[in-house]
Amino acid sequence: MAIERKKIEIPEGVKVKVSVGEEKEYPFDISPMYEGERIRKGDMFVEFGGPSQPGFELVIALPKDQVEDMKVTLIGSDLDEMQEGQAYPYAMIYYVAGDMVETDLEPVIERRNHDFQNYIEGYMHLNQRYDIWIRIGKGAVKKGLKSLIQIAKATMMLYKNELPFIEKIEAVYITDKNLVEKLLNEIAMPIYEERDKRVEMLSDEDVEEFYSCTLCQSFAPTNVCIVSPDRPSLCGAITWFDGRAAARVDPEGPNRAVPKGECIDPIGGEYTGVNEFAKEESGGEYERVKLHSFFEYPHTSCGCFEVIGFYMPEVDGIGWVHRGYAEPAPNGLTFSTMAGQTGGGKQVVGFLGVGIAYFRSKKFIQADGGWYRTVWMPKELKKRIEKYIPEDVRDKIATEEDVKTLDELKEFLKRVNHPVVTGVIRPVDGKKITEGWKEEVVKEVVEEAPPAPAEAAPAPAQPQPMPMIPMMPMQMPQLQLLQIPQIQLPSAPAAGIKLIIKDAKIIIDKVVVRKEEKKGGK
Amino acid sequence: MIVAVTGKGGTGKTIIAALLTHFISQKTNSILAVDADPDSNLPDALGVTKLIRKTLGDIRELFQVSRDEMGTMNKEQWLEGKIYSEVICECDNYDLLVMGRPEGEGCYCYANSILRGVLRKLMRHYDYIIIDCEAGLEHFSRKTIEKADYTIVVTDMSKKGLSTAKRIKELSGELNLNFKDIFLIGNKVTNKEAETLIRRFAEENKFKLLDVLPYDENIAELDLRGEPVIKLPESSEYYKKVKNIAEKLMELQVKVM
Repeated sequence: MAIERKKIEIPEGVKVKVSVGEEKEYPFDISPMYEGERIRKGDMFVEFGGPSQPGFELVIALPKDQVEDMKVTLIGSDLDEMQEGQAYPYAMIYYVAGDMVETDLEPVIERRNHDFQNYIEGYMHLNQRYDIWIRIGKGAVKKGLKSLIQIAKATMMLYKNELPFIEKIEAVYITDKNLVEKLLNEIAMPIYEERDKRVEMLSDEDVEEFYSCTLCQSFAPTNVCIVSPDRPSLCGAITWFDGRAAARVDPEGPNRAVPKGECIDPIGGEYTGVNEFAKEESGGEYERVKLHSFFEYPHTSCGCFEVIGFYMPEVDGIGWVHRGYAEPAPNGLTFSTMAGQTGGGKQVVGFLGVGIAYFRSKKFIQADGGWYRTVWMPKELKKRIEKYIPEDVRDKIATEEDVKTLDELKEFLKRVNHPVVTGVIRPVDGKKITEGWKEEVVKEVVEEAPPAPAEAAPAPAQPQPMPMIPMMPMQMPQLQLLQIPQIQLPSAPAAGIKLIIKDAKIIIDKVVVRKEEKKGGK
Repeated sequence: MIVAVTGKGGTGKTIIAALLTHFISQKTNSILAVDADPDSNLPDALGVTKLIRKTLGDIRELFQVSRDEMGTMNKEQWLEGKIYSEVICECDNYDLLVMGRPEGEGCYCYANSILRGVLRKLMRHYDYIIIDCEAGLEHFSRKTIEKADYTIVVTDMSKKGLSTAKRIKELSGELNLNFKDIFLIGNKVTNKEAETLIRRFAEENKFKLLDVLPYDENIAELDLRGEPVIKLPESSEYYKKVKNIAEKLMELQVKVM
C-alpha cells in the first residue's frame, strides 16, 4: 500500500555533477543567527521555486546500504551558469539512513531543512514541501559561494550534527525544469499525500506521548489542554503534530510532552499520565480527565474553544454550536451565554468546549455515543464537517432550518427516528448507553400520529426495556441546568391541564404557568 | 535600532514616521517600516499604497480558517512564508509591513504566539525599524512586537496631545517596555508661547525633546492632493528639521554599534 521508497532515476542526457565527502571550508557563515534573514529582490543573485518556478523538497528514508554518505548529485545547471536576477526550478531530495530512521520520520526530518538552510548566511529558505522559495544573496556569491553543492554539503553536515540518529545522508539537487516537474508529480506529491493520510489514521493508541498546551492559561489559569492524535486543541489551532514539533524545539515551553502512562479507560480516553499532569497543572483543581467523554470527567474548557457542546436532557441528546452562530440554540441559550458558564478552565458536566477539528476525530466523544448522541448543530457548522458524520445518522441531526425549539427538536428526532429516541448504542463497543425516551407526556401522544413506519433501526430491535428503573444518563444529578426551558403547555381549550410524568427526575428552580395567547394550534 | 513613533491621533506622527523612513533609507536599505496603527496610513504617507498586497491581519485570518487543512505541514513555516512573500512589501529602499486589522472572534493565542516568533526573527536583521504606533501601544502590550529601543512621542500644541504624551510614558512604564530613551517632538507649533510650554512639559515629565517643528502648509497641501508627504520640498524648514532628527537617530545607532 505504501509508496515504495527508492532512489530517483537520472535520465540520460542531463547535465550531472557529483561530489562526495565533507567540505573542508565553506565560504559562508553557518549559524542560527541568520534565521529570519530576508534577502530583498535587489540584493538577490538568483531565486529558486517561489511563485514562478516549480520546486520541492523531499526526504526519503532508505536502507543503509543504499545511501552513499555525504554524496551530492546536482542535476542541471549550477550557480556559475546562472543569470543574475533570474528564477530557476529547484528540487532538494535527501536520502537518509540509520538504525532509527523510518518512513514515519521523513516529515520530521524534512521540515528541518528549512531551519538548517536558514542557518546559512546569504541564503533564504521559505515555506515547505512543494511551496519552497529560495533566494541566494549577491553578497554570498561575492564571498565565494560558487556551487549548490556547497549548500547541499552544509545542509547535510547540519543534519548529521543536529540529528545524530541520521547515520548516512545523500543529496540530489535538481535545477533541470523537466525533471523537477516530473519528480514533483510522480514522486513527491504522492508521498506528501500518503503522509497526510497517515496522519488522519494516527490514533491515541499509536503514540507514547501527548502534548499539553498552556498558551491560554493567562485567561484560564486552571485550563489544561491535552492534545492527542485523536483530540486537537479546543481553539482548533494545535494538532498533535504541532505539539510535538513545538515540544522538540522548546521542551519547557507552552507545549510540553505528556507521557500517556497507563490507559485506565480506553473508551473514555483516560490515562494515568494525563491525570497526573492535569492535577499538577490545574493546581490540584482536577484529578481526572477523560479525553473522549462528554459526561464523565470531561476535558476542561478554556474559553478559546471554537464550538460548545450542550446536553439537552429533554431529548437526552447533545447539541453543538459554534462561535459564529449568534442565535439561541434549541435550549434557548446562545454560544456566548453557554461559553460564559463553561469557560475559564472549568470542568462542567453537561457542557464541553471543542475545536472544530475534533469533529473529524474517530474518537469524537465516543464514550457517550459520538455522532449517534448528537441531535442538533447549526447548518453552517454541519456543512463544514459533514463528511465526517456517519452516513446513517447524517440526516437525523437537525439544524436551525429544521427546528428552533426543543419541542420542534423532539418532533424532528421522533420523525427521523434518531438513535436517542430508542436508545443510543455506541459504536465503539456496541454497548447500549441510553434507554431511549420513556413514557411520553400525554400531550405528545395526543398530538403525534403513530410513529411513522419504523425505519430499520441500526440496533437489534429489542423490545423497549422495562420502564421501571430510571436510567438517567450518568451524573445527571450534578448537571447544572442554567435555565429551565420554558415549558410550553398545549393551550388547552378549557381550564383543565393534564400532566403525566413518569419515571423522571426533574430539578426545577421555578415554574411559571401562565395562560398563553391563543395560537393557531390544534 | 527599533524606534516606535507614537502620539495622539492627528498630531502628525505618521508624517514623521514616513519622513524618518525616507531619510534613513537613503543611507541604508536595512530598514523596515511598520504600520501598527489601524487608524492611520503610513503607506499613503510614503506613497506606496499600491504596492501593499496583504496585511499581517489578513494572513492571520487566513491562517485561522485554513489551519484545519494543513495536515502535517508546519504552521510556523506556513505563516512565515506568507509574511515574507505576501505581507512584507519591498519598496525601493526599504521594506514595509502593515499590521492591519485587529483580531476577530475566536482564539488567537496560537496564531499570535507563532507571529511573535516570526517577527522576532525577522526584526533582528534590520539595522533600523520605524514603527508607526497608536497611542495605546497595543502591539507592545500584546507582545506581537516585543520591544523597541526608543520611542518618539509626537505632540501638537493641544492639551490633549500633551496629556496623551504623558499617558504613553506612564503606559510604557506599566508595560515594562524599558525604552532606552523616550523622546518628544513638538509638532505643528505656530507660536513661541506654545514652544515654551512644550519645552517646559518635556522637562517636567523627563522627556528628551528632539525638536519643535513648525506648521508647514506644504504638508496640508500634499495631503489635500493625495500626494505622499515625502514629496515635501527639500528647502522647507520642516524637511530639514526632520532630516536632522533622522541623522541624530543614526548617530545613536552608530554609538550602539
